[in-house]
Amino acid sequence: MKTLQGEGVLITYALGSCIGLCFHDPRLRLGALLHIMLPLNMETGRTHPLKYADTGIKETLKALEAKGASRARMTVKIAGGAKMFEVSGGGGLGNIGQRNIESVHAILKRENLHLIGEHTGGTVARTLLFDVVSGQACIRSYGQKDIIF
Amino acid sequence: MIKDYAQLSSMEIDTLREIGSIGTGNAATALSQMMNRPVSITLPEVRIMEYNEAIEWIGGPEEVTAGVLVKMSGDVGGIMLSVQKLELVNVVLSTMLGESIDSYENLTELERSAMIEIGNIMISTFINAMSGLADLDIKLTVPAFAVDMQGAILTVPMAEYGGMSNYLMAIGGNFVCDGKEVPCHLLLSPDLRSLEFLLRKLGVSDV
Repeated sequence: MKTLQGEGVLITYALGSCIGLCFHDPRLRLGALLHIMLPLNMETGRTHPLKYADTGIKETLKALEAKGASRARMTVKIAGGAKMFEVSGGGGLGNIGQRNIESVHAILKRENLHLIGEHTGGTVARTLLFDVVSGQACIRSYGQKDIIF
Repeated sequence: MIKDYAQLSSMEIDTLREIGSIGTGNAATALSQMMNRPVSITLPEVRIMEYNEAIEWIGGPEEVTAGVLVKMSGDVGGIMLSVQKLELVNVVLSTMLGESIDSYENLTELERSAMIEIGNIMISTFINAMSGLADLDIKLTVPAFAVDMQGAILTVPMAEYGGMSNYLMAIGGNFVCDGKEVPCHLLLSPDLRSLEFLLRKLGVSDV
């Protein structure tokens, strides 16, 4: 997770089944970019809280609120959750992306966060750029036009 | 009980290295038979590394590559991934089909299946070597194929087992064919219980 205030662009590369979340407080020009890999933290020691949707979002909110961000002003945009491989007979493999999307939705709702933009699912990897001043997000994918949202 | 790759003893890591050498050696032989010309392999590098490190090791997250993936089940469960760089693909394509490609875009059906076949050969000869050595019965799924940023491709085994470990086994070597050296990368990510079983079968685990 990276936070940035004032001006600049945050970036996270090659989101496959992972999800990138852009948190934005427009008044403070404060942003955070979180990259989660798995839907729920079931680690016993909880040594990597930022890897999971539930603990990752909590940690990010804590960091942003410590800088004075307000949850009422805050907006969130998300991207990722693709299915990279179609494995026949692979059981649950490849469903992680979908599970991540569902988990992120549920947690954002529980935390009363305002989700204003989303590009999730599909089969293509995404690199996510996030401008902390305008709150604009941009997705770069292989062999496709950039998406601004 | 092994909780993490980081806990492996040096003897256990050496054993995994040996499996890596034998596996890639067999893969070179299989490629050579398929193309009907000599293929040798440089001494492969076998490393246990963190996922982020592995992504840098194969050239950075945004670089586009072709990945072939199979899921293992039976005595050893896990994921094996073969990362196909263009150089390797072109050696095979030029020998078999008399053509070469300069990007992964607009692949024909034939080129696509050639790539899957290369990955399939690499993975199944490797698994055969490993299961022969340790007397294991390992089943493989039909290979799945994707062309995309390699950061995202590598995340697949990472996300599948990321809850348990941050490490995977990376095997890298150079195939030498017609005087050309082309890199090959294999990533093996067994679940930890299987890894323990494998090491015990080989008689090197002290648990």
